[in-house]
Amino acid sequence: MMRRFFAPLLAAGLLAGVAAHAEDTLSPLRFQSSGAFGSIDLAAAQRGFAVYQGACASCHGMNGLHYRDLEALGLTPEQVAGIAGSVKLADGSAATPDSRFKQPALVNMGGAVPPDLSTIVAQRPGGTRYIYDFLTGFGPAPAGMKLLPGHNYNAAFPGGQVSMPAVLRDNAVTYADGTKATTAQEAADVAEFLTWASEPNLSARHAVGLRAVIFFAFLTIVAVLTKRRIWRQEG
Amino acid sequence: MQMEAKQGWLASRVPGLGCACGLMREARPPGQPWFNALPVLLGVLLAVLLASGAVVTVYYNPWHAYDSLQGIAREVRGGWVVLGYHQIGASLAFALLYLHLFRTLLTGGYRAPAEFAWMLWVKLLAVLLLTGWLGFVLNGGAGGYWSLMNAGNAAVRLNGFPGAVAMWFLGGPPGGSTFARLLVLHVLLALCAVLVIWMACAAAKKARPMPQGRAVPFWPVYASQYFAALAALALVFALLLGFAPHWGLGGQNAIPAGDMAVPVAISYPWYLTPAAGLAGAFHGVAGHIWAVIAAALLLYALPWLDRSRRHRPGRLYRAFIWLLGLDVLALGVVTAFPMGSLLPALFTFWFFFHFLVLTPLVTMLEAV
Repeated sequence: MMRRFFAPLLAAGLLAGVAAHAEDTLSPLRFQSSGAFGSIDLAAAQRGFAVYQGACASCHGMNGLHYRDLEALGLTPEQVAGIAGSVKLADGSAATPDSRFKQPALVNMGGAVPPDLSTIVAQRPGGTRYIYDFLTGFGPAPAGMKLLPGHNYNAAFPGGQVSMPAVLRDNAVTYADGTKATTAQEAADVAEFLTWASEPNLSARHAVGLRAVIFFAFLTIVAVLTKRRIWRQEG
Repeated sequence: MQMEAKQGWLASRVPGLGCACGLMREARPPGQPWFNALPVLLGVLLAVLLASGAVVTVYYNPWHAYDSLQGIAREVRGGWVVLGYHQIGASLAFALLYLHLFRTLLTGGYRAPAEFAWMLWVKLLAVLLLTGWLGFVLNGGAGGYWSLMNAGNAAVRLNGFPGAVAMWFLGGPPGGSTFARLLVLHVLLALCAVLVIWMACAAAKKARPMPQGRAVPFWPVYASQYFAALAALALVFALLLGFAPHWGLGGQNAIPAGDMAVPVAISYPWYLTPAAGLAGAFHGVAGHIWAVIAAALLLYALPWLDRSRRHRPGRLYRAFIWLLGLDVLALGVVTAFPMGSLLPALFTFWFFFHFLVLTPLVTMLEAV
């Protein structure tokens, strides 16, 4: 009964949430997934997947994920089937929701191999922020810096030069929810998406952890009080 | 009355049950400190490690170590929690064991008649360090893989009996089947750890003097204390699992092992860093190995290096034990965050100096 009453309200709320433009998380930059109580911003992660698919996937694989995993971002099975169906695998067949993310053909960037992005956020110190800084860190090299052949300047990359060119630009993708696709917005969204990909259980871990901590904190207090009472009587 | 008769009937037939019932009725001296619960907590953590390890082993694939662990975290229902139990259980087990060893040093708990119990606790540390290193390698990450490469290269270079043992242990230079072999050793050593902790507890019980004067029963007096300690441990466990699951585990294992990912310096989990620092302070393969063996032998020999005949250590000796604790901590820190080769050498020197010179000297002075 309650569910029947609340379900339409909930659906309306979700739709409104999806239809609304993303709130400004760029100035100052903040990620909903950061911090002890952080959770994945599903709308941002969905947009981030669009950025990955449009700008990253031609070189970077994500071998740890299946298309069906995207349902955890709030996509319906039909939407996931549509996304998978539009991907042509190496043998010419269309992907299914149970396929792993398409492995791109190996590209050689002057000896560098584009890394798999499944766990990239866990692999780099300050992962989420690093991805954002890296993707927005391209620019002209400072005076006096000599770049290696085939390299590009990047302020966030250790050593300052990297084989990867700047791929994100304004309107590199068109967002389904109408958010303005600036370079910074795309970088922040793909950073949130990759954070989810590295740790799909982040939101659940924080939620379960909080409940467990509250429970055991009370249990500890009660147990210590009980012990003191018993020790006063018998100890 | 009838209940007790039933217990007697069962206890006379089921091995171990009488022991458990006896523990419940056992009289102990009143007012024992919280720290006495450490071995029990350690036993509980070992049980958690065995249970979670059993689940992980079922899904683990030694030929695709990194990918299979990713599969456990992503595809297996609740797999990420079980992996968390295993990682954090290991971390906390080491924390409790280090704490227990430090406290035993500080209170002179290794002195007669508890020498045998002390040696078993040291043996537990050795077994757990080896098991922990194997677990670190079995992750299939870049850090563990290059640590295994170093061990494999060392094994190839060793001659004679040590070389034969090392080759048997690793099965030659690291390859796919090395991980299968190491998995078997990881599980076997974990079972050994259970045996060692049981023997250590039995030896410690034997060394404990019979309570003089007033005695209190285990139930409910110490049961309530142990339960409260267990609840506090669970609280710390939940905090780590929920909010810092990778704390102190060395970030390199997040990177899949491969010949393209070569760490400049291997970042070990925090509990391996003191041993790694000790080994790294000496040159060459033989130097690394002998340093660790010598450190373990010194710990074994401590009851005889200590010349005191009193049970409770004096103030000066306890100050030096605190210094030793800080020294081991610092050794771990400078191994985790390398800052030149001078500090690890200095801290390693102090470790050996403490046991070889300070311990006999200070305890002899205090015995006078």
